[in-house]
Amino acid sequence: MSPKDVLTISRRTLLKGAAFGAAAGLAAPAYLRTARAQSGPIKIGFPVPITGPYSTEAQDQVRCAEIAIAMFNEAGGLNGRKAELLVRDDKLNPGEGATRALELIESDKVNFLCGSLSASVQLSVNQVAKQRGVIYNSISQSDSINEAADFSKYTFHEALNPHMTAGAVGRYVFPKFGKRVAFLVADYAYGHEMARGFRTAGKEFGIEEVVEIKHPLGQTDFSTFFPRIQAARPNVLVVCNFGRDQLNTVKQATDFGLKQQMKIAFPVLLFSQRLAGGAGPFEGVFGGANYYWGLEDKFPSAKRLNDAYRAKHNNAVPTDYGALGFAGIYALLEGAKKAGGTDPDAVIAALEALKYDAYKGPEYFRKCDHQAVQSVLVLESKPQAQVKSQYDVFNVVEMQPPEEKFLRSCQQLGHG
Amino acid sequence: MESNTRPAATAKAGPMGGLVAVIARHRVLAALVVLAALPFVTPYEALAVNILIFGLYAMGFNLIFGYAGMLSFGHAALFGLGAYGCGVSIAKFAIPWFLALPIGIAVAGIGSVVIGWFAIRSRGIYFAMITLALSQVVYYSAYQWVSLTGGEDGLRGVNVPAIDVFGLHFDMLDPLVKYYVLYALAAVAIALFSRILHSPYGAVLEAIRENETRALACGYDVARTRWLAFILSGVFSGFAGALYAIHLSVVPIETLNYFNSAEVLMITLLGGMGTFFGAFVGAYVYIMLQDVMTVVTVHWQLVVGILFVVLILFFPRGIWGSLLKWVRA
Repeated sequence: MSPKDVLTISRRTLLKGAAFGAAAGLAAPAYLRTARAQSGPIKIGFPVPITGPYSTEAQDQVRCAEIAIAMFNEAGGLNGRKAELLVRDDKLNPGEGATRALELIESDKVNFLCGSLSASVQLSVNQVAKQRGVIYNSISQSDSINEAADFSKYTFHEALNPHMTAGAVGRYVFPKFGKRVAFLVADYAYGHEMARGFRTAGKEFGIEEVVEIKHPLGQTDFSTFFPRIQAARPNVLVVCNFGRDQLNTVKQATDFGLKQQMKIAFPVLLFSQRLAGGAGPFEGVFGGANYYWGLEDKFPSAKRLNDAYRAKHNNAVPTDYGALGFAGIYALLEGAKKAGGTDPDAVIAALEALKYDAYKGPEYFRKCDHQAVQSVLVLESKPQAQVKSQYDVFNVVEMQPPEEKFLRSCQQLGHG
Repeated sequence: MESNTRPAATAKAGPMGGLVAVIARHRVLAALVVLAALPFVTPYEALAVNILIFGLYAMGFNLIFGYAGMLSFGHAALFGLGAYGCGVSIAKFAIPWFLALPIGIAVAGIGSVVIGWFAIRSRGIYFAMITLALSQVVYYSAYQWVSLTGGEDGLRGVNVPAIDVFGLHFDMLDPLVKYYVLYALAAVAIALFSRILHSPYGAVLEAIRENETRALACGYDVARTRWLAFILSGVFSGFAGALYAIHLSVVPIETLNYFNSAEVLMITLLGGMGTFFGAFVGAYVYIMLQDVMTVVTVHWQLVVGILFVVLILFFPRGIWGSLLKWVRA
């Protein structure tokens, strides 16, 4: 319609047209609304940061979550009731995460929520979910979510928390390599919580902190910190950072010859970063993990996940964070099976009583804070000479058993 | 720059022009009618609330950007101060919502008085940079003050499960009820905003934008008028922020991030700077596009980015601004 045509239309026709247009506009997005069925499939909302800096991890979480769903459905579901995954991009933003959680709960009427990869997003999703009485199983590291202020009976935490992870690594490296410890810490919540975990674990070995350096998130040049670290002559350098920062640190530390003088330990040694960085920079570096595909020799459940993943994704193996997507969904569906339905209170009771082996041996949710009590792996990155295949990158040097003594106590967290 | 502070004067003959004139004369009513239908033209209610809130935020931003002609790059601080002011009152001090809301507005108001006082003496890019720098000061203060703001984890626990006014009970966990409660609060702000634009003060503001020297010669205090515009703009942004805290029951630290300042600029440009409806049109298009595209493809940023470029290229006055021009031509 050109502007000239408009001028020849009478006002009445125009108003009619406008009314029609408005009606069409109202009707059009109806297909965008999802059907609001109360029975039917078990719907699980899955907000993860599919785009942004952690997209690699998040997309793997989605792939693994889909495997858990498929496995449940192939086994016949819950008396024939199938499960369905509703993936949303939380954009690594808590506001977006909360909005998506509202959408999933209010509009899609999901039965459960699972997901997220950043502490702040998971806390906001948790806040929205607990207000509305929807069970949320978080798969992102956080210490706060265990604490009484954020916890509710609807809150579950399948992921590790910094206290467990850093504790496991600390208890392995400190007695082995020495008491003089240097800290290089990314200056945000993740770095601080991890460093706190190392310090707590270090107390029992009487570690001596020789230097602490904080760096901003996304630092590219770490070499300026190294002379100070070398001058302090530590036995162990604890580096509390994540993702690309981790890769940059090990690359530059290797070039600088730091490894000749000290051992380097990360709270979390990422499979994806090791693949990206290659064997050289990571050689001899220690770190914790929730999962490594090599566990399949020991645990049938790990083999089950790996095989399903290999079959679907070109013989690739799931990453550590990706596998959490599987475990998170798996636990929820096991709970629903045990409860015989999706009623929140029944599922909560079932989850609290549940002993499950999702992907790496036995796990259970501690009653007071619903933290998944689970094993923590301590990994050492292999030198090139020992690498046998593309994904053969780590040695599992220690497996901290799934015991509550490695968690902060319920009293410490403020639970009654 | 299209402006409709004096709609009657700009209305021209022609069928569309007549309609536009009617709408322009009753613009608050028109805006409220359209916004009342918003939950039914969005995929879900929470998104409609976001559009309402960001529309309100862009409306406030438009006062300083569109009507006063100054590009502020620090409005995230004012939005965020409103959100934290209201959120902290509720979550940490258990203050009821009807007091927390004005506290949020007051905190944002104080913030804009201070930021405005420093920034208002500069022009153009310097004004943008100073507002940006000061908003970053607010960002890092909130980031460090963990005991009050929750720091990087954000503020949780802004619980407003229900609102009772005059014996009426509103269940805020019902998405539609929540929308209309916030809508009613927003309506007051929209009416007030329109009144400000209609006032002699609104006219002076545009006079300064069009010709500062002349306005000065006419005896208007340019610096003070601008400062007041910044403060008013901040108050409206803070009000939007306070509603955001109540809406999501959390306040993410990202509300204070400079990215949030860029978003409101984008919304205003998309809708049409210096137009009354532009803010809401922009918010609708900006938020809806992102929301729908993220579900469709992981490459939503590419698609949305191209669409924005196309919109800015072909609608340089923004969607609403270009529509107005087209109708009045």
